Amino acid sequence: MTLRVVKDWIRQSNKLERIWLLAKIEFKLRYYENKLGLLWALIKPISDMFIFYIAFELILKQGIPNFVSFLFIALIQWNFFVESTAGTVQILQSKKYLYEYTNMNKIEIYLSTILANCIGFFFNLLFFLIFYQFIDKDTPGLTWNALLFIPIFLNLLVFALGFSIILSSVYIVAKDIAQIWTVVIGVGFWISPILFKLETFRETLPGVDYINPISGIIINARNVLLYQKLPEWDLFLFDWIYAAFVLLTAIILLNRLGRKAAEKL
Amino acid sequence: MESNIVLKAKNISKTFTVSEDSHNTVKHRLFSLFNPLRKKRVEALKMLSLDIEKGECVGFIGRNGCGKSTLVKVLAGVYPSDSGYLKIDGSTMLMNLGVGMNYELTARENIYVSGSILGLKIKEIDRIFEKIIAFAEIENFVDTKIKFFSSGMMARLSFSIAVNAGADIMFLDEIFAVGDMKFQEKAVKVFEGSWIEGKTVVLISHSMEVIQKYCKRVGFMKNGELVYFGDPDKAIEMYLADNQ
Repeated sequence: MTLRVVKDWIRQSNKLERIWLLAKIEFKLRYYENKLGLLWALIKPISDMFIFYIAFELILKQGIPNFVSFLFIALIQWNFFVESTAGTVQILQSKKYLYEYTNMNKIEIYLSTILANCIGFFFNLLFFLIFYQFIDKDTPGLTWNALLFIPIFLNLLVFALGFSIILSSVYIVAKDIAQIWTVVIGVGFWISPILFKLETFRETLPGVDYINPISGIIINARNVLLYQKLPEWDLFLFDWIYAAFVLLTAIILLNRLGRKAAEKL
Repeated sequence: MESNIVLKAKNISKTFTVSEDSHNTVKHRLFSLFNPLRKKRVEALKMLSLDIEKGECVGFIGRNGCGKSTLVKVLAGVYPSDSGYLKIDGSTMLMNLGVGMNYELTARENIYVSGSILGLKIKEIDRIFEKIIAFAEIENFVDTKIKFFSSGMMARLSFSIAVNAGADIMFLDEIFAVGDMKFQEKAVKVFEGSWIEGKTVVLISHSMEVIQKYCKRVGFMKNGELVYFGDPDKAIEMYLADNQ
């Protein structure tokens, strides 16, 4: 199926144009309808950071250096993942108008939505980079290692796309998946290194950095952006294999369940 | 000759399972593991085979509930077939009241989205944009969200998109039965104009006049089966006999 999609794109070049058009419209619908528009994409991580800073730095005194940057880079990745998964469980229902009258490939709906989320993410990333480089005090600053964030983010993108397809396909036959995923996301947040020192996290929850796919992404993103280190390669490789497996499962599910979306939803 | 075929269906069938309890939630599913559902199987399409050639206009007739609408949904690739094989060469568009539109978007945005889904490039949509607006008679509401449109405006816009953008294979399900008289006249005029030339059209209608006038081959359906597919006069005769 993947091969067919790629071949199709090459043959009919308007597909890339269409994905971009749908992404722009999705982005507009999400942000331009509100008075503050795109600022909402930034307000959410900032308000979270404010709360967590008070709780974990001022009250619990974890003593993590540059805690705001430490939180910022983790939260924007986490929020991107949550928006792209929990926010798209019902996508085949809400975007039914796109495929109920034509033989349009549904994968394009997912790609355009995730592309719209990327626009919001890059806006946040830009603010993070400015904050980290010029505002946050006593940071070592960015190095060339920061470029390694590109494959790390792509890894996150594949995870988000895979889970988004799996969840929305399962939604066709079991609508409770929306609530179940809210619980999974809640648990996933607390068993990730978003708020905690890496050593404490690994000591208390050994192996979870491999089980929770976003943990490895956050650990390696901090390595290349905050600590000027290289990624932990074993974790990096494991997460890519993990993501490929998730995406493959997703495509199989979309093929089996997604084709029934028009009649079931 | 084989290369001229744009739609090939072999032994396609479609059965809908209708249950009295909706088991859409995991909780329902858990509690009904040992409690079988009362299910009813509705065979909407029974082992159907047909070929449609490029540029052909074919019609399907039959009484209500005979499976015509399910057939076009399967042929258009919107519903999956339970069995057999279906090959569609090109983009398809199913049109009853209109093409799919998002109520939160403006007329302009809907035109671009629909046009793009139907396979047009942005530049091509730019070229036909004014024509779509003029045909739909909504010049003063181009940037208005369509949720504020009247049902007539909506129908005109979607019909206009369908006519001007079009897909390789068009499935028209009772388009002559909707809208006011002016709208219906417009629909007929489109069929009498040059629009239909060269397009592959699958038409469903209860109007024998329309079917006889535009279709080269006609299929007569009864209880999910394609009883006959060929000469329009013979198919119409069978349909009329079935209505006796």
